[in-house]
Amino acid sequence: MSYLVCVLLFGLMVGSVGVASNPSPYFAAMGLVMVSGVGCGVLICFGGSFLPLVFFLIYLGGMMVEFAFSAALSAEPYPYGWGNRSVKMYVAAYVLGVGCAWKVLLGKWSGFWGGILDESGELLVLRGDMMGVAAMHDVGGWILVLGGLGLLLTLFVVLELVRGVSRGGLRTV
Amino acid sequence: MTPIQMTFSTMFLLGLMGLTFHRTHLLSALLCLETLMLSLFLATSLWALQLSTINIACVPMLLLAFSACEASSGLALVVATAGTHGSDHMQNLNLLQC
Repeated sequence: MSYLVCVLLFGLMVGSVGVASNPSPYFAAMGLVMVSGVGCGVLICFGGSFLPLVFFLIYLGGMMVEFAFSAALSAEPYPYGWGNRSVKMYVAAYVLGVGCAWKVLLGKWSGFWGGILDESGELLVLRGDMMGVAAMHDVGGWILVLGGLGLLLTLFVVLELVRGVSRGGLRTV
Repeated sequence: MTPIQMTFSTMFLLGLMGLTFHRTHLLSALLCLETLMLSLFLATSLWALQLSTINIACVPMLLLAFSACEASSGLALVVATAGTHGSDHMQNLNLLQC
């Protein structure tokens, strides 16, 4: 199981390097999809049940879909992938940097690092992180109200930003 | 530092460097910002899971909600840029240049 965690961590690194090297947004969104999927797997390996689900559904299924639609705004005839020379230089620099950082900082680590910390030995339905989120709905109701008001405010902000004519955020259109 | 902590710290630094050394598109800079948010979600979720502090599990949910606000504002800016400048290339945003 610790080897699976190792493979998933490597997948996280590969996806992050793929996004950070700034290819065309089509490919960067692909890297972010990979990072979300692998991150969901990492959270499952460490005992979560609800938080990985939220990650997959809300992040990947909600926000990434928005980014995928908006990638049409950055359409170009020859998008830069990771095989392009300028992007490859960034990839090489980041891989070198990450490799050096890991070698220096993780040169010697002791102890059982990949162990899955799970406080009970059996399969449970109601796991810890689900109870934490339930606590947010129970005693943390006001923060949910605040979050909802913030989201409503963001809706109006977005509507004002893309409104054209004379009083919106776009003056020339 | 354990490898999992090293991983999400490195993810954060990689997203930050990708946002700093942005190249052509505004949208790919926004995707690096999403990588930052993703690494913070992983970090806070692993905090809740590994240290068995159950109540911290609400922090990743709220982080996701507010990061959705930020992502939608960024995308609205990309739409506005594409409306006025025709594309989201960063070199077109040069009104303040002398």
